[in-house]
Amino acid sequence: MLKVSGLTTGYGKIQILRGIDLEVPKGEIVALLGGNGTGKSTLLKALSGLLPVWDGTIEFNGQPIHGLPPHTIVRAGLTQVTQGKDSYPAMTVEENLKLGAYTRSDKAGIADDLDRVYEYFPRLLERRKQLSATLSGGEVQMLVIGRGLMASPKLLMLDEPSAALAPKIVMEIFSIINRIRKSGISILVVEQNVRMALLLAGYGYIIRDGVILIEGKARDMINDPDVKNSFLGGTVANTSRDIKA
Amino acid sequence: MGFDYSSLFAFILFGLTIGVVYGIVALGISLIYSGLDIVHFAHGEIYMFGAFFGLVFSNQWGLPYPVAFVLAMLCAAVLGMIIERVFYRRLTKGGGGYTVAGMGMIICGFGMSIVLMNIAFLIWGAGAEPFHVDLGMPFQIGDITLPKSYALTAVFAVTLMTVLHYFLKRTKIGLAIRAVAANKDIAYLMGINVPLMISLIFGLACGLAAGAGVLIGPMQSVQVEMGYLMLMKAFAAAVVGGFGSLPGAIAGGILVGITENLGAAYISPNHKDIYAFLLLILVLMFKPSGLFGVVARVKA
Amino acid sequence: MSKLNKTGTVLGLAAVMGVTLSTFALAADIRIGITMRMISENGQKYGQMVMDEFDMINKAGGINGNMIKATLMNDECKSDKGVANAVKLVAQEKVHLLIGSSCSSVTLPIVDVTSKAGVPQLVPHSTNDKITKKGSAWVFRVPVSGRYYAGVNAKYVGENIGKKIAYLCAADAASQNDCEAMQAQMKAQHGVEPAYTAQVQEKEVDFRTHMQKIKNANVDGIMIAALAETMARALIQSYEAGIPASVRRIGSSSASNSPVPKIAGDAAKGVFFAAAYAAADTRPIARMFNEIVKSRYGINSPDHDFSQAYDLVRIAEIALGNADLKLDSASLAADRTAIRDAIAGVKGYQGLASGPISFCAEATPQCRDGNRTAVLIAYSKGGENYKTEVLARVTMPIDFGL
Repeated sequence: MLKVSGLTTGYGKIQILRGIDLEVPKGEIVALLGGNGTGKSTLLKALSGLLPVWDGTIEFNGQPIHGLPPHTIVRAGLTQVTQGKDSYPAMTVEENLKLGAYTRSDKAGIADDLDRVYEYFPRLLERRKQLSATLSGGEVQMLVIGRGLMASPKLLMLDEPSAALAPKIVMEIFSIINRIRKSGISILVVEQNVRMALLLAGYGYIIRDGVILIEGKARDMINDPDVKNSFLGGTVANTSRDIKA
Repeated sequence: MGFDYSSLFAFILFGLTIGVVYGIVALGISLIYSGLDIVHFAHGEIYMFGAFFGLVFSNQWGLPYPVAFVLAMLCAAVLGMIIERVFYRRLTKGGGGYTVAGMGMIICGFGMSIVLMNIAFLIWGAGAEPFHVDLGMPFQIGDITLPKSYALTAVFAVTLMTVLHYFLKRTKIGLAIRAVAANKDIAYLMGINVPLMISLIFGLACGLAAGAGVLIGPMQSVQVEMGYLMLMKAFAAAVVGGFGSLPGAIAGGILVGITENLGAAYISPNHKDIYAFLLLILVLMFKPSGLFGVVARVKA
Repeated sequence: MSKLNKTGTVLGLAAVMGVTLSTFALAADIRIGITMRMISENGQKYGQMVMDEFDMINKAGGINGNMIKATLMNDECKSDKGVANAVKLVAQEKVHLLIGSSCSSVTLPIVDVTSKAGVPQLVPHSTNDKITKKGSAWVFRVPVSGRYYAGVNAKYVGENIGKKIAYLCAADAASQNDCEAMQAQMKAQHGVEPAYTAQVQEKEVDFRTHMQKIKNANVDGIMIAALAETMARALIQSYEAGIPASVRRIGSSSASNSPVPKIAGDAAKGVFFAAAYAAADTRPIARMFNEIVKSRYGINSPDHDFSQAYDLVRIAEIALGNADLKLDSASLAADRTAIRDAIAGVKGYQGLASGPISFCAEATPQCRDGNRTAVLIAYSKGGENYKTEVLARVTMPIDFGL
């Protein structure tokens, strides 16, 4: 579905990514893990076309997409969901969702997807006429994920969906992400919450200083002592049962 | 002699009719500010060009006034988009978009204002041109005589604002324009063609300024120098209403119009232009974000 | 700018050559500097007319064989620019005669420049009476002084229109002066105070507040003292406010400028003003002049700023012809004095002005306001092809208004 090879980029003259190879297979959840300032968000920006690609290639559905303008990449079916603070606070919930479907013109399809988003997140339906500035942190996170779904993506890229949220809310959101995958949408989730992400994903990458440090099946990585020591710390909480598999 | 309420009413009415025009220009300045993060200093000259376009269409080509009004808006919109694409956009080539090009943009805006003024001077000369619109006898409201041109201004201005409101709130492009104005990075991720929307915002703002010019023309005649004072008043209106707030721009315009007319009527008419700026200073002292300026707060 | 510098160098060279060749008594240039308001459409044409007339004198053989070298500068009706122009013309170009300026606010400070440098100054258009009251021995006014205009206006208004007059006065020097002089004359001749006075900004565009107040004041007439375009706007808005045509509109001196009837259109009808020249004048010289202006500059019914520019050149021609000029580098001060004395010697010049123009030697308004005859002109039709009619022609006593 998505294949990144030897990708390098940065801001101005400062290089951030120093050759990234990464793959997201169709219908899978892939987790990209790492701490602050490791290059996670930079990679997402490059994939979305917000940053120019210096070197390397990005293929989506077999087509090269590096160098295309952002709106063309969205039309191709690659949608990025930024962190919750990036909703449009001065617009209502429904306006935010409709903006997500900006590239589409199939009215019936949009209406169906809107119903689907409200079905995933019933709280958004309750608040559809409210300004998104009045939503709670968890609700805004739901809103931006819903907005991403409105673009009818083939691959959804989620930037830290758990950031600054209470564990209970994170659980709720992650279970929805799993449902989204089951509906046939591939997902690349970027996380600092390594344990949660590896419980959700099928495959994982750990990035540090602009290069992929470790990669492997999520199940193997959770048990990998290196990963455990470096990133998990302490015991693995028994939370997997809360995620409706 | 008791207090003359009908005169007071007349002064407020005069302030209102000129105020909505300030508001329309302020709306454009606000739109450009929120969309491009710059203050467009050549906006007064776009307003002047709009007035001349209207004059040419209406008085020279003999088109009906409403047709001239719409045509002038379209022409100014195209002019604005050309200016944005050919000149301003280049400044953003260094990266960072309009936000980073800020200081250069301000200087470029001043330069553009001088260039446009001189072009207009070469085409139309320095003298004031009368803009005749024959609308018939004025309305009579009690002791107050209200010429139809003023009433027409109010009607056109309100129509324009309603259309704009509908456009921004109810149409897909309107939604996209608001999205670009609020946050360009996210707008990109929505699949919006942001550079195209920036052109549209610019065109829309210039069209509005031209509309204001065509409305003012019959009242004050049309002259190359007319843009400067309008820019100042509209700028005051935009700041009073809250920079970047669209309803604020209109409210600010009306407030500035009424303030200067009441000031001229009851304090002293010698320095009428001062009242607008006095209001501006007071607002900045006590409510720096402007009367309608909302700082959008996002819960973490 | 570079053009001016070049002229300066050429003049400098000419001056050097003048020293070496003076014994041959070769013809030299009479240098004339002009600073005028060249911004409005007609403003440019007034300046052009002065240049064209000097050019024609040169083509006809110059003055006593000497060519006129005229330098025209634009002061945009701004006093700082006018003073800078005058200083440049006087000190760098070393002109023998300075002509300027159009706006009273510019002419007033220039009087100080010419008086200090000892350069004769001919005033083409300014009417503010303070210009000649400063006591400079070097200044001569071709147009009619504001003090005479006010007297003519006030007499006519008090006798034919009424005594309850509202005033709308713009902040430029000429209009302020016209307004004050008119109010003073109404008090002196008829013993009345203004019914309403409003001071407005020089380029005010919105007079509705004042018109509403004036309407409520039930006056016999409104004097609108402002520069042409401002006046036209005020006239239109006076009708829009519903002030009936029976309330007469009285113009200040700039009502004679053609933008007033052109912009104001029908609102200009009935507006009257005192001026130095009426295009409706039937004298042969006036008819010839109207033809010249029409063919050269495409203007029907020239206003008195055209006629004054023309009269000024004729007066300069007479004075320069009478002055004994050496025109070498050492004689600059003497030549300037000779030209001043020659202008002071012009008596009873009969030109386009409605009466004779005479100057004399004393540095007093009586001597230097040489033109005392005003005509009262009214617009009988506004718009592009406006028409005027003469209401009255009055020559004022020499001491009037002092």
